[in-house]
This record gives sequence, structure tokens and C-alpha cells, in this order.
Amino acid sequence: MKTLAIVFRKEMREILRDRRTLIAIGLAALLTPTVLVIVSQVSTKTATQTYTIGYSGDIPTGLDILLAATALKLEPVSDPAAAAKQQVDIGVEFGAAQIDEWYDPTRQSAQIADTRLQTVLGQFNAAKAAASLRQKGIDPGLLNPIPVKQHPLSSPVKAAGNAFLSFFLPYILITMVLTGGLSAALDASAGERERKTLESLLLTPTPRSRILLGKILAVSVISLVSAIAAIGSMLLALSQLPLLGAHVSLSPLAAAVMVWLAILLAGCFSSLTLTLGTLAKNFRQGQAYSTPLYFITIFPASIILFIPDFNPNLAYYLIPILNAVLVLRDAIVRNSVAWPALTVTSASLITTGLICWFVALRLFTRETLLIRS
Amino acid sequence: MSPAAVKVDRLEKTLGKNRVLRGISLEAGSGEIFGLLGPNGAGKTTTLRIICTLLAPDSGSVKVLGFDTRSAPEEVRRRVGVVTADIGVYPRLSARENIVYFAELSGVLDGELQRRVDTVLERLDMGSFANQRAESLSSGQKQKVAIARAIVHDPEVLMFDEPTSNLDVLASREIRNFMVESRGRGKCVIFSTHVLHDAERLCDRVTILHEGTVVATGPTAEVRGSHRDLEDAFLELVEKK
Repeated sequence: MKTLAIVFRKEMREILRDRRTLIAIGLAALLTPTVLVIVSQVSTKTATQTYTIGYSGDIPTGLDILLAATALKLEPVSDPAAAAKQQVDIGVEFGAAQIDEWYDPTRQSAQIADTRLQTVLGQFNAAKAAASLRQKGIDPGLLNPIPVKQHPLSSPVKAAGNAFLSFFLPYILITMVLTGGLSAALDASAGERERKTLESLLLTPTPRSRILLGKILAVSVISLVSAIAAIGSMLLALSQLPLLGAHVSLSPLAAAVMVWLAILLAGCFSSLTLTLGTLAKNFRQGQAYSTPLYFITIFPASIILFIPDFNPNLAYYLIPILNAVLVLRDAIVRNSVAWPALTVTSASLITTGLICWFVALRLFTRETLLIRS
Repeated sequence: MSPAAVKVDRLEKTLGKNRVLRGISLEAGSGEIFGLLGPNGAGKTTTLRIICTLLAPDSGSVKVLGFDTRSAPEEVRRRVGVVTADIGVYPRLSARENIVYFAELSGVLDGELQRRVDTVLERLDMGSFANQRAESLSSGQKQKVAIARAIVHDPEVLMFDEPTSNLDVLASREIRNFMVESRGRGKCVIFSTHVLHDAERLCDRVTILHEGTVVATGPTAEVRGSHRDLEDAFLELVEKK
């Protein structure tokens, strides 16, 4: 234990004197809330922005008032189809029997304007139908034979906030745990070889397994600090800044799950990046070896974005990184922990970390490590 | 010669497809400077790396102060200090911190640590830059850090592998003086070099390696024989081979 502490202390001292690592942590802590402010402003602007409908023909009475109330501005044009390509957000021709609409689905503004128009037209048609029935002495309730009364189990605004967190938090956690310790890991492995200190280090009577463990521990701590700095500043920004109409916060349960997963991921990534660094002849080669890791780690986080309701069976929780993303998502969205999933995830990440550590140790004790250097 | 501190017996080693050592044997005693000589590629560094347990021999054996490098590598490492031409130091640590780190890893006890480090700093005249970060040190100063970390645990066997090849005249002289001083302290000093002039001046006994075999061994004067200097003797031995 003593030699482990000696290696850990020395690595930490070196890391904390390394500008690259400190800048990476500082930037992560600053950039995360900055990105959030931008996202918040863009989302607020998108929600309140007025979109333009280029139209021809006669507007049905009252519809113009409804459209204006939904931040849809009407602008007369001679050719709505042509105007919808660029001049306005959507084009509409009001005919006697039907309304023709043109929009470009590749434009986000057109999609939003279309959604709003459909909503307004639905309300307008329903109101018109109800008025006609009333004129004929028929109960307009006929149009809505089974009324639905919604009882949301949680605040829809809060749910939207949680959905936002459930994507961003795993993404930031994984990215920061990986990148926060990467420079330190490469410096502690490929860097030893590059600055020619490796041979002297291996000449000491300290068992190599303890040297490696001390390095893994130091890199894990820096990864954790980096992730906590980024996530802490993000949560602080969220508590001050309304996002999607509400102040988003992390429940204590989700926070506890996040910290546990961060520790497991940090151990895993530290072993993995040290292994790659040990394979490399120098720092730059180590960076080249580590580049694919970005894609491998970002991919599982992206699944949540593209398949938000992805509900896998327990076997999926054996897949490292994806399992952490899923467990954290569930903890944030449902504010609960599925213990079997968390147990499988923990076992999977611990096993992965041990395998990486074993591989790193094998590499660290091979003669080729010295011969190549 | 005093009893052998380092005993190498019929050592063989192949690295990749290259048969680097072909059954070499040698002995180096305490209180002497033993020269391991030969041109580049003769197998000097590989021999030293096997002696200090960084590499394992394919066959043959090495004993350091009675400890076998295969069965007791950690005991061997406790008793060996190595200085090479690669003066790699941790740039973000001070000279003192570099030395303390290696002292701790070499098992120097807490109560003795500071005294041992201070002694080494004084012995190598490092006081003026002890607290300076290693990244700001000159090559000569870095070499002193490398020597200090190799001797801070007071090893009985000191190995120098081309220690002066990257140094200027003054720094080289300090290294040579240090080797002589260490011999005076009863250490077994193994000096590997291809600079035969240095070896002739410093070594009590030498072994000349060529293409992984021993071509001559014995007291320096005996190996030189009737030749003008060791270089002439070496050239004749190599040409004969």
C-alpha cells in the first residue's frame, strides 16, 4: 500500500503541474455552462419566434386571428409554392373547398410553422364544426364522444427537463471521464517512455503491478475531478437558468448513481488509456491510438438521443458504457434504480476495468516494452 | 580480485532475430572498476540490462551479491544502481523530488530518507539547483540527478552504461571522478563504454565483447599487453575474430 501511495502522490503532483490537464479541466468547467446558455437561448428563441406564412386566396374569417395568436404572420404572395422554397417559411393557398400547403421538410423553420398551422387549423375546424352542429340544434359533444382527461404523473415541464438531462448528462459524464484523464494517462505511460524515465522506474524493486495501480488511481482521480467539474458547473448553470421553461435539477438518487458510475467508468477508462499509452512509443502516438475511443464512447450516448424509449433486456447491461448510459438515463427520467440493471452494469464495468488492468500489466512487464523504447 | 559481486555465466540472449549474446561469462568484484568494452552492437547494454533484471536471459545465469536475477529480481534491484546515457528525469518535479521518488521506491525508510537525499545532494554538489524543476536544468545537472537517483539507496553495485556520451568535457570528468570515488567506497563499478581511452584510465579489469562473445578479459594492463594502448589491442583482437 505504501508504494502505491508513493506512485499515486508523485503522479498527482506531476499532473497538477501539467498545464495541459489543468486547462482541459478548466475549459470543461467553463464550456459546459456556456454551451447550455447557448442551447437555452436557442430553444427559447425557437419557441417564441414568429414564422411567416406566404398565402394567396381568401382567408377564412377568424382564422387570421388564431394564426396571429400562435405567432404565425401572414404575408400575401402571388405563388405560395414558389415562396415556400425560401421567401417564407410555408406557403398556403386558401381555396373554397380545401387549403393547399407547401413546405420544405429540410428546413426546421418550415417544420415548426407547419406544426403550428396544423394545430391552429385543427382547432379552427373543430370550432367551425361545433358551431354548425349548434345551429342545427345538435349537441357539439357528439364530435367528442369520449373526452380524455389527462393526469400527468409528473410535471410535463419537469419531464422535459429530465429528458434533456438524460441525454446530456451521460454524454458529458462519459466524454469528460475519458478526456479529462487522457492526457494524464498518456503522460504516465507513453510519456515515461518518451522522456526515457521508464527504464529507471522499472529498475526499482517496487513491483510493477503497484506502479501501474498507482498510475491508474491517479488518472482515475483526475478523470473524476474533470467530470465533476464539468457536471457541477452544468448543474449550477441549470439551477440559475430556465431551460425549456423550468429550472432543471438532478435528484439525489440520480446524483448518487452518477457518482458511482463515474467512479467505475474512471477506473475502466484509466486502465484502458494506460494500456494504449503503454503500447505507444510517444505521447503523439498514444493520442492516435486513443482517437477511436471518442467514437466508441460517444456512440452509446447517442442511442438515447435517437431511441429515447429504448428499453433493453438485462443482457444489454453487459455492454460497457452503453450500460452506464442506460442506468443513468433511468435514474434521471424515472428517479429510480433498477437494482438488477445496476448490479449487472457494475459487474460489467469492474470486469472490463480488471481486464484492461491485466492487459496493461502484461504489457508493462514485457521485454518488448524496453526494447521498443 | 575480491570475491565476485556480479557473476555472469554463459549468458545467451536473442532479441527478435538478432542473437545478441552468445554465451558470455564475466565476473566483477567489489572495490574495482570493471570495464565492459566493445563497439556498438557488441552486446554491452543487453548484458547490463540482464544483470539489472530488466531483461531475462534465454540461458545462462547472473548472480548479484549471491542473488539470482531470475529467482530474486527484487533483491537484485535493491542492490544495483544504473546510470545510462539517457538522462530522462521527470521534468515537472524538482531535482530533489526526483531523487526522493526513487529513494522511496527503492525502499529507503522514512526516518532515513531526508538524510540520505541530503547526503547525495551534497556529495554530487547539487545544492544550488536541488529545488529547481528538472525541466530547467542543463544536461550536466540532469545527469547528476540521474546519478543521484541511482545511488540514493546506496547500492553495492553501480553500473554506468555510456554515461558520458551526451555530456560536455566538464560533466564527463565529474562522472569519471564519481566512479573513482565509488570504487574507493568499496562499490563494484561496472563501466560500459566504447571509448577505450576512458576505460584504460579508469578500469582495473576489462572484458571486451564483440558480436556477443568475449574476445578478451583480465586486468587492463594484461589485456593491453605489448600494444601502445587498449585501442590497438582491441583492434587487433577484433580483426583476429
